[in-house]
Amino acid sequence: MARTGQVTESTGSPPQRRPTGARAAAAARAVLPAPFGRRARLELLFCLAGIPLGLCLPLVPYVISGPALAVALLSPEHDSTWVAAAAAIPAGLVLVLLATRIARRLGAVHRRLAARLLGERVDPPPPRPGRGAVGWAGAGLRDGPGWRAAAYQVLKLPLAVLEAYAAFLWVAGLADLTYPFWWGLFRNHPPGVTLDPVTAASPFPGRGFPVATFAGTFAALAVGVAMVLAAPWVTRAVVSVDRRLLRALLGPGRLAQRVRDLEQTRALAVDDAAARLRQVERDLHDGAQIRLATMAMHLGMAMEKLEDEGGQAEVRQARELVDEAHRAAKDALAELRDLVRGIHPPVLDNGLADALATLAAGSGIPVELTCDLPRRPTPAIETIAYFCAAELLANAAKHSAATRVTIRCAERDGTLVLTVGDDGTGGADPAAGSGLAGLAQRARTVDGRLKIASPPGGPTTVTAVLPLRA
Amino acid sequence: MSPPTGAGGGPLRVVIAEDAALFREGLVRLLTERGHRVVAAVADGQALLDAVAADRPDVAVVDIRMPPTHSDEGLRAALELRRDHPGTGVLVFSQYIETRYAARLLEPNAAGVGYLLKDRVADVREFVDALARVAAGGTALDPEVVGQLLGASRNADDLAALTPREREVLALMAEGRSNAGIANALVVSVGVVEKHVASVFGKLRLPPDEGDNRRVLAVLRFLGS
Repeated sequence: MARTGQVTESTGSPPQRRPTGARAAAAARAVLPAPFGRRARLELLFCLAGIPLGLCLPLVPYVISGPALAVALLSPEHDSTWVAAAAAIPAGLVLVLLATRIARRLGAVHRRLAARLLGERVDPPPPRPGRGAVGWAGAGLRDGPGWRAAAYQVLKLPLAVLEAYAAFLWVAGLADLTYPFWWGLFRNHPPGVTLDPVTAASPFPGRGFPVATFAGTFAALAVGVAMVLAAPWVTRAVVSVDRRLLRALLGPGRLAQRVRDLEQTRALAVDDAAARLRQVERDLHDGAQIRLATMAMHLGMAMEKLEDEGGQAEVRQARELVDEAHRAAKDALAELRDLVRGIHPPVLDNGLADALATLAAGSGIPVELTCDLPRRPTPAIETIAYFCAAELLANAAKHSAATRVTIRCAERDGTLVLTVGDDGTGGADPAAGSGLAGLAQRARTVDGRLKIASPPGGPTTVTAVLPLRA
Repeated sequence: MSPPTGAGGGPLRVVIAEDAALFREGLVRLLTERGHRVVAAVADGQALLDAVAADRPDVAVVDIRMPPTHSDEGLRAALELRRDHPGTGVLVFSQYIETRYAARLLEPNAAGVGYLLKDRVADVREFVDALARVAAGGTALDPEVVGQLLGASRNADDLAALTPREREVLALMAEGRSNAGIANALVVSVGVVEKHVASVFGKLRLPPDEGDNRRVLAVLRFLGS
């Protein structure tokens, strides 16, 4: 790559212009099809939906209370002012009490719209607290997420104006495009007759420009093209602000989100622990336990042979049986040792570096290990990191045809960063059940995360970032 | 080679259902050396049902946990055998004991059913005796089951009235042993055992001894109630 760049430089100016041209072409490729994309259509729909929902609905209370206030303020007689105020104050109070409830309902509609049209999935906020000592009214007033939803409605008001403007750009721009096509049909007046010029839309609503001649329609066409090309980008910009507001105000809120995450990860941790215990039971049941039972059976049979005080044949058979029992005992011991290591490798007590070194030494693929941890993480973190490395190493050996694995373990910004890379075939996919999903879950239980980079063809790098203490 | 001790002393025709190959082969060898015939040795519940339907063995040895789900398919196959082939004894042979499983196996009667821990195979003679007992329509309950029942019995007051020897006799009765078997296990004469049995039945206010099977049920019902 670098060499190609040098060649281009040495051949003078014409090739140098090509990158600029290429850049322009790339930009054109990005800009030109934008108005025709599915995303642009959906975002436009979202803007259009915002006009009744964000702009008109919130105005209802003003429309209702407006005349009452107008009557009250404009009335020459003081008596009717008092009457109007007396009517307006309770109405306003009811509105305040209903605000959080209405805002929550509207918020749900906005969330659904955003999910359907923008693919922006925002979790619903926690449900309204139950009625406390202050009852129905208090439950509404103390409803934090409800007030955040109300704030969204307020901020949505100017935003909906901008969204309406984006929709205007689309509609007016498209309309401008049509001018040259119908001009000939409707403006074929006899010579000498003067018609008023028609108005073409400009990007400034209400400030159209006059078109009096056929040539003028091309000015309208040009403005239309510019507006249609700009429309998707304006739409996107406005919608992205709306997305932020949606996430911030209609979501569960930071604390509630944290609680939800913790609930999820706690469930994962509990399930994980239960699954591991079950696996240990299964391994013992199908492994060491059955081997020991077989061993007991062989020894029992051997004892019978020897009790009978039989001849040479019985003694020989007894020896065979003892041999088999002996083998079963050794197998059972090996299996128990593996199982014990799978539960908690004893070497982990000496620290992660030693444990990883043991792991690397036992690997079929050459492993390059660097481990630099000035502070020791807590045992739970060490265990998770160790099993991550073990699983990833096993994956590399099983699936990747790698010839070399690197394991790096370091402390960075108060976290433990474990990186396992291999030069294999790549294509590791957490969804394919390679155990990566399980590792990611286990990392999540301690607020850690797993980053997987494994393009088809390789190489694979998996990074686990874990807090130092859990 | 020891003489066969089957139903009526003859060799037994046995089907074995056990998914651990080593253990299954060991069992086949053990029973064959004892003069019995293993007509089929299979590794899952369905194969067991098929083998029993085809071969009509005297007794089936059934592991509880087998493929495909590795949960309780052996037990379910055993219950099905009890219902469909009352002539075949069923010895459930497992690495763990669940009192509830025992209760289900003993419904509606204790004829031709056994539930033993795999550990018991270490005492070859006792194991083969238990198998023969089940084949002949008797009962073989693991001491572990009986122990759990004794420990959890709500009739602790009545049980407290028994002498230690009588408790031993009660436990052996619950395991399904005959008077001769109890005498053998306790190294006393059958007459002494008969006296103990009568005394136990009197103290627990059970109907008089009416043969091994009904005796097992009476004792288990007493312990379970």
